[in-house]
Amino acid sequence: MAKREFSFNDAVAEIENILHNIESGDLDIDKLSLEVKRASELIKQCQKKLRSTEEEINSIFKDLT
Amino acid sequence: MTEKVSLTELQLIIRDSLYLALPDYYWVIAEISELKENSAGHCYLELIEKSPEERNVKARVRAIIWSTRYRFLKAFFENGTGETLREGLKILVKTKVEYHELYGLSLIISDIDPAFTIGEMALKRQLVIKKLEQEGVFSMNKDLKIPILPQRIAVISSKNAAGYSDFVNHLNANNFGYVFYTALIESSLQGSETEQGVINALDRIALNSQLFDIVVIIRGGGSQSDLSWFDSYNIAYHVTQFPLPVITGIGHDKDISVTDLVANKSLKTPTAVADFLIESVSGLENEIIEMISDVIDASRIIIEKNRNRIETSAIKLLPLARLMLSHVKGQLSTKIIEINNRGKELIFAATITPANQKSRLSSCVKTFVSEKGTTLQRSNQRLLSGTLNLLETKNMRVKVLESTSLLLNPENVLQRGYSITSMNGRILKDNSQIKEGDTIDTQLYKGSLRSKVVERKRRDGEKENG
Repeated sequence: MAKREFSFNDAVAEIENILHNIESGDLDIDKLSLEVKRASELIKQCQKKLRSTEEEINSIFKDLT
Repeated sequence: MTEKVSLTELQLIIRDSLYLALPDYYWVIAEISELKENSAGHCYLELIEKSPEERNVKARVRAIIWSTRYRFLKAFFENGTGETLREGLKILVKTKVEYHELYGLSLIISDIDPAFTIGEMALKRQLVIKKLEQEGVFSMNKDLKIPILPQRIAVISSKNAAGYSDFVNHLNANNFGYVFYTALIESSLQGSETEQGVINALDRIALNSQLFDIVVIIRGGGSQSDLSWFDSYNIAYHVTQFPLPVITGIGHDKDISVTDLVANKSLKTPTAVADFLIESVSGLENEIIEMISDVIDASRIIIEKNRNRIETSAIKLLPLARLMLSHVKGQLSTKIIEINNRGKELIFAATITPANQKSRLSSCVKTFVSEKGTTLQRSNQRLLSGTLNLLETKNMRVKVLESTSLLLNPENVLQRGYSITSMNGRILKDNSQIKEGDTIDTQLYKGSLRSKVVERKRRDGEKENG
């Protein structure tokens, strides 16, 4: 099975959903650490994506400017 | 018949007659149809006059400017008009008719009026412009847009013209390193061949117009003259009809030719044309660079916005999780206390029952045991006391006897705390024999006392009076 490509927007939506769940207290305590782990994982991926996108853009235009 | 004359004589007669008949100078208007300078520096011309339709030559004459005069007039005319004396020009000249027996009739030119030629040229130019305007073609090439990247250039020039090499060198030596493709289409750019040459060159380019972005007509470099060839209606018309923008750099400071006027852009020198092309490309590059920086800026804004979103989430995540955790902990500890309390109650309740039973059992046993013990003890007691009573009764007599004998011994009496009081060796049994201040002796179990009587008391304890 092909690995689904990382989607920044989906990740952000998921993070915000997790935050909302924690905030509202709807979250099951059994899932708390799992969800926090998942959210921090997603945040890491998002930051990586941002950084790589920035670097990509910089490198794309490096020779041109 | 009259007398015969030789040819020379006849010619001399003509010369003299003309000299006499035409002694003055005449200012003559004519068009130059031919012009030659010989090695001696004399200038030989053919002057003509055309019919108004410019089809037929109505009059023709030879003319000469002698070298001494020509040197002066040539410069004077060029300075005044910007044109060299050449075929096709209309001139106003001061002439004297001369007749030479060998060469025949000619006009000897001694002066020229440049203002007349200027007026004539301007008039002719005006007529050309007017005609182009009336035909509605005047601004057609101007209406074409210069391509955003004018890199493929068709150059109409002549290979040996200084202007052409200036143009190519300047273009290729640009500071930006841009590459330009130039194709030279050769044409004569001065003299009577100019018109046809330029038109042919334009036609050749038009056949392959898809290969080029722009056409430049380059001249200049030395000759400041002969500009009026570019006032040609035919050249100007071809330029207006050309499918590509035409830029002229035909090098004239003072006047602008009709070709310049109808061209898309007209610049004074070939170098200026090259600069214009370089600037067009660099302008485009600057626009692209600006677009790039716009793209970068816009991208940075998007990244920054999303970074903020992520960072906000990252900052919120841990405290929220902790908050929730502590909330749950609080709930949990309340539960623990509850459970603890209830557990204790249960344990208490549970422990009470067995303890009761145990204590009851033990007390039962104790009671039982003590009951049994009591009975036993009583039995024992009774046995003992019975025995003792028996012994007592048996011993009683012996003991009474014994104690009586002991009691009767005074020493034993003293020992029990009794004392014997005597005075003057007589034992006292009554206080009546005693007076206050008497000395009495008291015998104790151990030792004796001698005392003075202070007071006498009756048996009831009241003080006795004397």
